[in-house]
Amino acid sequence: MDAQRRVSLLLTFILMVLLLTGSSYAIPAFSRQYGTSCATCHIDFPKLNDFGKAFKDAGFKFPKDDETFIKIPPVMLGAPAQAEMWPHTIFPGTIPGLPPIGLRFNQFFQVVSNNRNNFNAQPLTMGGVNPYIPRTDFEPGFFSIFTAGNFGSNIGFWVDDDISVSGANANGSLGDAYLRFEDLSRFLKMPADSLTMKIGQFELDLPFTQARAYDISPYDIYSQANIGAVNPAYPQQFVNNNFSLAGPGRGVEISGGHHYGGYHYSIAIVDQNTSGTSPTNYPNIPSATGGSTDGVGYFSDSSFKDLYGRLAYRFNLERDPESRHSIQAAGATGPRDHTYLTLGTYYLYGRSVQTAAGFLANGTTPADLVVHEPFYRLGGDFDFNYRKFNVYGLYMDGHDNDVLPFTPAGVAGPTGLIAGRPATFSGGFIQSDYMVYPWLMTIMRWDRVGSTADFLNGIGASASAPPPGNYFSPFSSVRNRFTPGAQFLIRANIKASFEYQIRPKQVVYVPGTTTQLISPFRTNTATAGLEFVY
Amino acid sequence: MKRSLVLAVLVMTAFVTSQAGTISGKVSGVAGESVVYVDTIQGKTFPAPTAQPVIDQKGLMFQPHIAVVQQGTTVEFLNSDSVAHNVFWISVGGNKKLGHNLGTWPKGEKRPFKFDNPGAVPLLCNVHPEMSGYVVVSPTPYFATSDKSGEYKIENVPDGSYTVVAWHEGAKNQSKPVTVAGDSKADFTLSK
Repeated sequence: MDAQRRVSLLLTFILMVLLLTGSSYAIPAFSRQYGTSCATCHIDFPKLNDFGKAFKDAGFKFPKDDETFIKIPPVMLGAPAQAEMWPHTIFPGTIPGLPPIGLRFNQFFQVVSNNRNNFNAQPLTMGGVNPYIPRTDFEPGFFSIFTAGNFGSNIGFWVDDDISVSGANANGSLGDAYLRFEDLSRFLKMPADSLTMKIGQFELDLPFTQARAYDISPYDIYSQANIGAVNPAYPQQFVNNNFSLAGPGRGVEISGGHHYGGYHYSIAIVDQNTSGTSPTNYPNIPSATGGSTDGVGYFSDSSFKDLYGRLAYRFNLERDPESRHSIQAAGATGPRDHTYLTLGTYYLYGRSVQTAAGFLANGTTPADLVVHEPFYRLGGDFDFNYRKFNVYGLYMDGHDNDVLPFTPAGVAGPTGLIAGRPATFSGGFIQSDYMVYPWLMTIMRWDRVGSTADFLNGIGASASAPPPGNYFSPFSSVRNRFTPGAQFLIRANIKASFEYQIRPKQVVYVPGTTTQLISPFRTNTATAGLEFVY
Repeated sequence: MKRSLVLAVLVMTAFVTSQAGTISGKVSGVAGESVVYVDTIQGKTFPAPTAQPVIDQKGLMFQPHIAVVQQGTTVEFLNSDSVAHNVFWISVGGNKKLGHNLGTWPKGEKRPFKFDNPGAVPLLCNVHPEMSGYVVVSPTPYFATSDKSGEYKIENVPDGSYTVVAWHEGAKNQSKPVTVAGDSKADFTLSK
C-alpha cells in the first residue's frame, strides 16, 4: 500500500469521525406546540427522560389526553364525524397548527495531541507532500432541519435532514424520514401498544441511539464494518462489507411495548447494501420515481433484505406498584425517572455480496463470480439508572462468512470461490452519566473494538510480529478509547459540550519488518462543541 | 323586647358599615393583573377563612395563575393533568427558609397546604420548568386583584391608617401609607 493511499485512508477516518460527530436532535417544534420546556422530555437534550420515551412511544404526542395539552390547535383535515362515513369519504385527520419545524446548528473546536504529525513523518513512496494536521481547529458542524409530530388517528411522522455539513452547503444528507402507524394492535384486538409499524428510512432500533446520541464522538462499535480481512492461507482480503449499525435502514419496522417500562420489541426488514454503493440508476430499468434514466435509483445491491430484531425488558424497581407502573416514578419531591434495569438483546442477519472477476469453469469464458455470504451482528445490552446516575453498555459480536477466489493452475484468473476464514469483530462500550446539576452532566465512556478485519488495525498487529504492509496500527488488534466529558446546558436549548478522547498508542512499521518507521504516537483529541436548537 | 334587640343589632351594623371604606386606585408601570393588599395591622389578628381555594394544574399550567388568599388559608392543589406534576416553592415573601415541596400526586387528587406566612409564594413544578403560578398571602382580609388595566378596589376596609402593598409578578413591591376614611385613593407605579 503506497503512502498516498495511507494518507487518504487516515484522512477518510478523520472525515468519518467529523461527519459522524454529534448527530443529535431535540425537537423545539414540540416545545412550541405544547408550550413546554425541552426539559419535559429531555434530561440533557437529546437524551430522553422517561416522559420523553413515553412521548416518542406514543407517536410524538402525550401518552394520554394529548389534545388537552396542545396550545396551538391542529388544523382539521375533515370533521371527526366524517370517520363514520368511511369508506365513502377520506378518513379525517389533522395537521399541526404551525409547521412543526426545528432547526439546529453546532460547531466544534478541537485540539489534537502534540505528536499528531508523527504519522506523516514517514516518507511518501509516490512523492508529494504529506498533509499537516493542525494543533487546533475550529470546525463548523451541522445546520439541520427537522420536523416531527402527529397527523391524528395515531399516525406519527419524523423527517430530519442536514442542510449543510462542515460549512459546505447542500452536502448534508437525509437522516430519518418515516411515517409511524401507532398502535395497530387496536384493530387486531391485541394488547394496547403491542404493534406499531414504521415505514421509511430510519435508524434501526438500536439499544442506544447513535443518530440522536448526545456525545460528541460516536460509539466506535456502531461504526465498525467488516472490511479487509486477510486470510493467512490466502493473502487476499475479500470481505468488503460496508454495513455498519450507525447507518440508516430503509424499509419497514414493526415494534411494540414501551421504552419506559416492561417489554419492548422490534423487527425490521431493510434494504441490504453491503458494497456501500450510492443509489444507482440503470439505463434501461425505470426506478421508483422516474423513467429509465432518472428517479431515485436503487439503494439495494441485493434482492435479499437484512433482518433486524431486538427484544428488551425494562424492570422498574420502585416498591410502590402504582409508581412502578407509571410513566415517571413518584418521588418525594416530585416526579422523576424510575430506578430501572433494562436488559436486551439484538440480532441482525444479512448476506454480503462478494464478487470477483473470473472465468467460468472452462477457464476461458470471462464471468462475474458472485456469492451472497451470511453475516450477522449479535449482542446484548444493559441500562441501569438510579436517580442522577445512569450506566449502560453494549456488547456486539460481528461475524462475516468469507470466500476467497480459487484459481486453478494454468488459468488466468479465478474460476470459483472457496470458503475462507470468517472475518469477525467484537466489542462494545460502557458509559456512565451523572447529573451533577440539572444543567451539568458528566460522562465517562470506554469504547473497545477487537477485530480481525479492522480497517485501522490491520491484523493482530504487535511489536513482536508486525503484519506485512500494515501501516497504521496500535500495538494490538484491539482499540480502546476512553472518553471523559461534560455537558453544560447554558439554556434549555443551548448546550456546550466537552470531551477528551484518549486513544491507544499507534505505531508504523517498515513493511515486513519489526523496524518502527516512525516513533509511536497517539492522536488524543480534546473537542469542545457548542450547539443550539430553536 | 326581642324586637328591640333586633333593631339595636341592625342599627349597630349600619353604624359599623358606615365606618368601613374602600381603597381604590391604579397600578401602573406593569402590564396585567396586580395584587394590592393591606399589610399587617399591629395588634390585630384575623380569623383564618374556612374556605379552601383550589389551584389546579391543568394543561401544564397553574390555574389560576395568581391566587390571593388571607394568611392562614388552606389552599388545595389539584392535579387535573394526565401527566405527573409536583408543586414546590423556594420562598415565601422572599424568605427561603419557608421553601417547601409538596411532592407528587396522581391525576384528580388534591394536596392541601396552609399558608401561615404572608408574602408572595412563587409556585413551580420540577418536571415542567415553564410552569409558573403565585399564591399571594395577604396578612389581612383586605386585598384585591386589579383588572388588566391595573384598576383595583379593596372594599370594607375599616377607617384607619394602614400600609398598603402592591405586588406584581416580576416587579418590586411598593408600599404606601394610606388613611382610610370612606373612599380612599392609592395609585402605584411599579417597575421591574
